[in-house]
Amino acid sequence: MKVHLPESLDALWDLLDQHPQAGIMAGGTDLLVSLRAGKQHLPTVICLERLAPLQTIEPLDQTLRIGAGVTLTRILENSLVHTHLPLLHKSVASLGSPLVRNMATLGGNICTASPAGDTLPALYVLGAKLSLASAKGRRILPLESFIQGPGKTALAKGEILDSVIIPFPAGFGVQHFEKLGQRNALAISVVSFAALIRTQDNLVQRARFAWGSVGPTIVRSPQAEKALEGNPLSLEALLRVADLARAAVEPITDVRASADYRRRVAGNMVLRLAAL
Amino acid sequence: MKTLSFIEDIGRRSPRFDAPDKARGKEKFASDLYPENLLWAGALRAGIPHGEIRSIIVDRALSMAGVHAVLTRKDVPGPNRQGFVYWDMPVLCGKKVRHAGDAVALVIAETREILAKALESIQVDISPLPVVDSIDAALSDQAPKVHDLTTGNLLKAATITKGDPAVLATCDILLEEYFSTPVQEHAYLETENGVARLDKEGILHLIVSTQAPFRDRLEIARALGLDPGKIHITAPYLGGGFGGKDGATVQCLLALAALHAKGRPVKMWWDREESMVAGYKRHAARMHYCLGAKKDGELVALKCEIDYDTGAYAHLGVEIMALGLEHAAGPYRIPNMEAKGRCIYTNNPIAGAFRGFGVAQVSFAFEGMMDRLALKLNMDPLALRRKNALIRGDKNCADITMTHSTGMAECLLRLADHYLWTDRGKWVAAAPRFKRRGVGISAVFNGMGYGHGLPDYAVAKVRLTQSGTIRVYNGVSDMGQGNASTFVQMAVEILCQDRENMELVQPDTDRTHPSGSSSAGRTTYTYGNALIKACTALRDKLCNRAALMLLMDDARGFAMVPGAVRHLATGKEISLAALAAIMHPEDRLCVADHLMVTTPEMPQGGEAFSLGFPHLIYPFAAHLARVEVDELTGGVCVKDYLAFTDGGRVLNPQTFEQQVQGAVAQGIGYALCEAVQTTQSLISTRDLSTYILPTSLDLPDIQSHCVETIEHSGPFGMKGIGEVGLNGPLPAIGSALIHAGLPMNRAPFTPERILAALQGQADKKKEPPCR
Repeated sequence: MKVHLPESLDALWDLLDQHPQAGIMAGGTDLLVSLRAGKQHLPTVICLERLAPLQTIEPLDQTLRIGAGVTLTRILENSLVHTHLPLLHKSVASLGSPLVRNMATLGGNICTASPAGDTLPALYVLGAKLSLASAKGRRILPLESFIQGPGKTALAKGEILDSVIIPFPAGFGVQHFEKLGQRNALAISVVSFAALIRTQDNLVQRARFAWGSVGPTIVRSPQAEKALEGNPLSLEALLRVADLARAAVEPITDVRASADYRRRVAGNMVLRLAAL
Repeated sequence: MKTLSFIEDIGRRSPRFDAPDKARGKEKFASDLYPENLLWAGALRAGIPHGEIRSIIVDRALSMAGVHAVLTRKDVPGPNRQGFVYWDMPVLCGKKVRHAGDAVALVIAETREILAKALESIQVDISPLPVVDSIDAALSDQAPKVHDLTTGNLLKAATITKGDPAVLATCDILLEEYFSTPVQEHAYLETENGVARLDKEGILHLIVSTQAPFRDRLEIARALGLDPGKIHITAPYLGGGFGGKDGATVQCLLALAALHAKGRPVKMWWDREESMVAGYKRHAARMHYCLGAKKDGELVALKCEIDYDTGAYAHLGVEIMALGLEHAAGPYRIPNMEAKGRCIYTNNPIAGAFRGFGVAQVSFAFEGMMDRLALKLNMDPLALRRKNALIRGDKNCADITMTHSTGMAECLLRLADHYLWTDRGKWVAAAPRFKRRGVGISAVFNGMGYGHGLPDYAVAKVRLTQSGTIRVYNGVSDMGQGNASTFVQMAVEILCQDRENMELVQPDTDRTHPSGSSSAGRTTYTYGNALIKACTALRDKLCNRAALMLLMDDARGFAMVPGAVRHLATGKEISLAALAAIMHPEDRLCVADHLMVTTPEMPQGGEAFSLGFPHLIYPFAAHLARVEVDELTGGVCVKDYLAFTDGGRVLNPQTFEQQVQGAVAQGIGYALCEAVQTTQSLISTRDLSTYILPTSLDLPDIQSHCVETIEHSGPFGMKGIGEVGLNGPLPAIGSALIHAGLPMNRAPFTPERILAALQGQADKKKEPPCR
């Protein structure tokens, strides 16, 4: 296997052109595991770690732009993330272990496009947009359009994800994330749930929900969100939302849990909002 | 003069002797060894759980550059059989495979990469047989036989009887339950490995991660038809064992490879996936319990049936079942018992020795019955246990008189006074929204030593070296429990030396004496007893030789001091180096042995077990778990954990605590998340991302307290606690759950099972009533 470590985007475009079959590696915490297991064989790997433009975190007009190559540890340590994006902070903290987070990147978690990707439910409800770059230029795509299925993205040949643009969720007083794994660290999520809720006079004005690990991609439910709007954050109202959530998800049975259990818990997790 | 040094004697919380070298990476584990010019050996695994081998085509592998040999059954000299007692496991399968991890070919190659390619290129044609994937499948009339036994797939059945079990029918209270426990993986950090080399004189040298170097020698010799005298085995420190390296893992394959390596060293190191598929596991068990008691809580009778799935080969399955029966009714005074056991072959992964050896399973059942009895009688569960706890002079459920240290009642008494118990009501009531809390306890024990019928002995050796240091020759592997360090501490105590003056040799069939395996909570106990004799003899000898040198009539009035022997009245000293210089090398050595005492009592039916049954000495423990259940997900969190352990006198509080902490962590994993899952006998939890071990974030603070009885037969009053700690967590957490309204009969307590219980979907299977 040949490994390239380009130090500029121009060098990267050349390499992508010369090696259309190459694997792209950011932190390697997914790719190297898959290579070791023999799930894929790559003659060439191109690493993104030396590309400076992918390494920055910068605020811009009520949004935060996070370079795709920024490690999860750096995201956790960033004060802007801590202050303005607590939901992202919580979901990043739930991923892997300190060792994994020292290597893994936000871009990698998105491009792996696993329905269990720990940062994805938070990024969905936050309305994250992605900046995709190639030799031809840049385009911006909403995260929801980028991820198309398990492991499937809208990334074109010769294109990489260079940064993630996340709006600050202004006015959303409830920012909730819960992940259930088979243990409290180093765990693939069995069910996860992210919620953003804006209330006025104790009534829900706007709700955004996303569930992980209960469908081929992150699951949204506009019906469930609508059902809560205009109601107080009461157990009674949430029980109705939970039913809609259970109807919206399409979980599978695997070695971690049964589809039935996942469906039940996807609804139950909504009820937690009553305890906040 | 050293001013800060002190004697790290018995009872002191001293750091391990091996800690500095391990921390610096200086201490070499078997897996650290890469001798020059080495070759790699690896086994091809069947991948099919049951079948007949039609052909194995190795031509492609053989023709690869860098492949030195591809061996199959026909290349195995000797009977090709391994296994402790039953010799039922081939080194390389020739005709039949009995589980997916069976080895069918062995490749020797220049590099690990070539080895992997060569293994992939071998074509094995196995005609599948119906798979015996469960105890029920194994016992059905039409079941195909895993081995050619006249008893079908039943390896062994036995019944232990005490008193008159028929009185069960007349008891005031009669309770009946079914329990089941999962297959558990040892999951040591250091997977199975070793290096081997055949020298010019025809001696086969192996350095192996093993709990039993001396038995390995016999095992290899027997399986491959070699002379055991020409096999030399060294056992460095292990990166974990827990029973999984008690029995041949890489040994016979590695020896076979070395015979074909033309004198070059050969290394074999199973990766995690191979360790999962081919390594030994804890037996899954299912248990049917009927308990009878009086209205006041006094236990009257127990009838139980316990089935162990031993997988494809016996390993120590029968002996494990024997311990299950021996401990079936718990550490309680119960006058009548009938315990029926069956050990059954299937095509599942091989089950074998594992910390808690058959007792971890029944602990869940007997303690589960005690909690159900307490609820039925509306009695305090701790008071119920105290009322029935064994004391000295009682006969235990296997009809053995408790003549040795028996701290069960004291462990419970101490637990009863602890704030985690006395404050439990307040804590349970303070559960946050969507959480439910429970506090549970367990009382457990675990027979120590090999037991009747298998002499438990050790031979210790200690030497004054030429340079005046004291060298202890440890004959029993240290798999991480710290016995080697404790041996140094014992020698330091008797010989009054600084640690700096001590040396330690790890097990080596050339340099140390056969002293049995590192297992059964007997390691420090048995070897320690021998070592005390050897050190005392050396002390007396050195005083005696010093008297000669100092022209005294005899050794009276002499004592050892750091680095020297001193005549106390005159203050005259002779240094150990000076003594060593005048002593003949053979005179500077003391060897002594110890044979563990066994019980002359035998319960009715116990004759069925020829090896290791019953036991005489038991460590005891009382555990407490504070558990919080999430009502929305079914997740179980152990918030606090407390263990009181009777291990006799504590020689080193730090090592004692580490043993308890480790055992409790492994036991919490067993209770909450660890389970080797199989579908049609093929493992679906193939690595550590699907086989779930608890992390530091899943474990509570564990408080460990010792209850120091004195075990008069033990070295300085100790008895072994390596296993007993593992038996406590599963029943303690089960107890917490039942007192939170969640009776669980099946472990582990996964969120999915808990959520089902929360919704009132009992996980009990309906079975026929008590017979």
